[in-house]
Amino acid sequence: MILSPRDQITTPQATVIVINFILGTGLLTLPRSSAEKAHTPDVWISVILGGVIAIIAGVIIVKLGQQFPKKTFYQYINEIVGKWVGGLLNLAIICYFLMTSGFQLRSMAEVIRYFLLQGTPTWAITMTFMWVSLYLIIGGINPIARLFEIILPLTVILFLVVSFMSIKIFEINNLRPVLGEGVIPVLKGVKTTALAFTGPEIMLLLIPFMNQPKKAVKAVLVGVSISLIFYVITVVMVIGALSVDGVAMRTWPTLDLIRSFEVSGLIFERFESLLLVVWIMQIFSTFTITYYAASLGLAQLSKKSIQPFMFGLLPILYIIAMIWKNVNDLFKFGDFIGNFALFLFGLLPLLLLIISRIKGGKYETIT
Amino acid sequence: MKQSHSHIRPLFISISALLFLSLTGCWSSHEIEEQSLVIGLALDKGKQSSIEKKLNEQGEGYSKRNLITATYQFITPEVASSTTKQAGPQQKSYVNASETGDSNHQIVRELSLRSEQPLTGYHMKVVVISEDLAKSYKLEQLLNQNLRDSEVRLSCLVLISKGKASKTLETKTAGGIPAFRLVGIVENAYRSTRILPPMSYTKVESKIQSESSFLLQNVLSANGEVKFAGAAVIDGKTHTMTGFLNEEELEGITWITGKGKGGVVKSFDKETGQLFVYEIESMKSSIIPRVTGNNISFDVNIESDGRLSENWVLSGNAFESEFLKKAEKSFENEVKRLVGNVIEKMQKEYRVDVAGFGNHLRIENPKVWKKVKKDWDQTFSETPINYHVKLTIKDYGTLGS
Repeated sequence: MILSPRDQITTPQATVIVINFILGTGLLTLPRSSAEKAHTPDVWISVILGGVIAIIAGVIIVKLGQQFPKKTFYQYINEIVGKWVGGLLNLAIICYFLMTSGFQLRSMAEVIRYFLLQGTPTWAITMTFMWVSLYLIIGGINPIARLFEIILPLTVILFLVVSFMSIKIFEINNLRPVLGEGVIPVLKGVKTTALAFTGPEIMLLLIPFMNQPKKAVKAVLVGVSISLIFYVITVVMVIGALSVDGVAMRTWPTLDLIRSFEVSGLIFERFESLLLVVWIMQIFSTFTITYYAASLGLAQLSKKSIQPFMFGLLPILYIIAMIWKNVNDLFKFGDFIGNFALFLFGLLPLLLLIISRIKGGKYETIT
Repeated sequence: MKQSHSHIRPLFISISALLFLSLTGCWSSHEIEEQSLVIGLALDKGKQSSIEKKLNEQGEGYSKRNLITATYQFITPEVASSTTKQAGPQQKSYVNASETGDSNHQIVRELSLRSEQPLTGYHMKVVVISEDLAKSYKLEQLLNQNLRDSEVRLSCLVLISKGKASKTLETKTAGGIPAFRLVGIVENAYRSTRILPPMSYTKVESKIQSESSFLLQNVLSANGEVKFAGAAVIDGKTHTMTGFLNEEELEGITWITGKGKGGVVKSFDKETGQLFVYEIESMKSSIIPRVTGNNISFDVNIESDGRLSENWVLSGNAFESEFLKKAEKSFENEVKRLVGNVIEKMQKEYRVDVAGFGNHLRIENPKVWKKVKKDWDQTFSETPINYHVKLTIKDYGTLGS
């Protein structure tokens, strides 16, 4: 695949893509899913540990990719493990991106259907969402990156404003004692929180698009760290207001946090719509980038043009999103994707890195 | 270039024409002028109102056990517009509708059979539950529908009423809205130590889930007037109401938790028998659990700054520190009495911890807490509690004597 200069992104753009990929459904559900597992107010420590694990995994992914700075994972995997295994792994990764995409789509549809547009049919919500996304990815990686650059500052500002409004109902006692029950419960939560950080894997594909592939490590470090700050703020504010026991029973705890207070004196009293705006933009970006990654994978695997795949995946994504009967099925699907990711992006890149190093320096291309 | 232009143009025009379709409006639109906004809800034990009886006499009902009577207070478009047009002084600015049934949600839907305007819960501010209902059903059962709903916000407050809950949503003041009055009184916490910090759905839910006992504000009603009077004790195990604390006992709780924002302490001079009053400016308390072996005890240190705001002891001269010291001592004794009184009540009569002692043990001694958590209310009722009160009179206003 020949890359035109227009199809290149800068390091900050790569960082922004990583952040926007990471932040998604987790922003609304992480306080519950992690509190369920850990059962202590120390969940925020689990979040930090999860972030550290994500950074390590991300760095490994980047190191692997930097051995082939002109190629995406779909292209270089064959050189490491051969055609057959490589093809299988490629398919697995494409499946992963498709599933993530479908999962985000459905979560978005569920929340909008219940909280915002109760009379609107789900297909109408998802269709518009998908079409806009399709329009964006047809333009290639550069327009995607530029849109993400617009979304991120909006997210940061609105999200911080909204979450700090909840300071009125924040009770520090809900977060104490720190490590009262030892480190074991904290570690129990780490798996869940680490999975909330799935996103650095986009670096498998992003490195050849970067104009400075050497700085990919920086993009991952900064990207995961900023997401980490987001998550810690979310978890601390939500548990501080709702307490661990209260969080465990709420479907969308972060939304409940915003629904728990009214601010009088400002123009608005309620801020859940602002939070939902932020969240929907984040879901959109996660959806878009995974959609693009899957299409790119299919295109590079078959060595054909990417556009037919983009259009072709549209109905498939819709089916993946709509196949789940209820929210419980959806959350289970989410857990499955998480476990899948743990294997694909936790273990596999390390393995591949070792293999490629052992195989010798013949790929060592220094740019 | 020209050719592609001529291709694109008809396409462009047809797309623009399609855009007109979107002008027809929003899918989910509901006109605000056609909505009834629910602002308050009162839950009572099932007892049909006279209108309901008349309707039921004509038969054609549905099968129900009449467990609860829900009274919805709402503002209808007509009412809202008539108050702005300055209607007669007797005009009520709210509407109450009662309906008896079993499930909260079914009751709301039954109301749609009686009124053309659908009820919306986005603006519900307060729920009042009557004593007998709170004693016979678990709180999470009574509130389950509201906690699940996408319309009702979790900032809605929960109150308990000793009498009929629906009476607290009535007023005789023209233009007054009872639900807003209740919410407004909660905001007065900076004036009185007899008002609990607001218990919203969020807080109630987390208390219920953590299985700890807690208090809900009690509200009395008579003749269209209401008064906050003490608190209802909710048992952490059963999640039902077990009894009441009176106003003084609630005051004691406020001193123990140190969460009061303002209020007064009245005390009598020992020598003259005349009263003086202390106005609280700030209040702080620390509850320190002490664990030695298997024995748990608590030290409560209460500190407060304030001013001498009323003095009937005419011989007393506030310019003299002697007198202030004497007054401080007297106020301290009064606070000690309040605190001791409520501790006795919690430990001996109700055998529950509603002042958050357990929470402090959880924070300071998580290991011990894990052991006693299960039967905490029982353990608590046999735990020695020491309390120390330190009040400081910072000033005495513009009058010295």
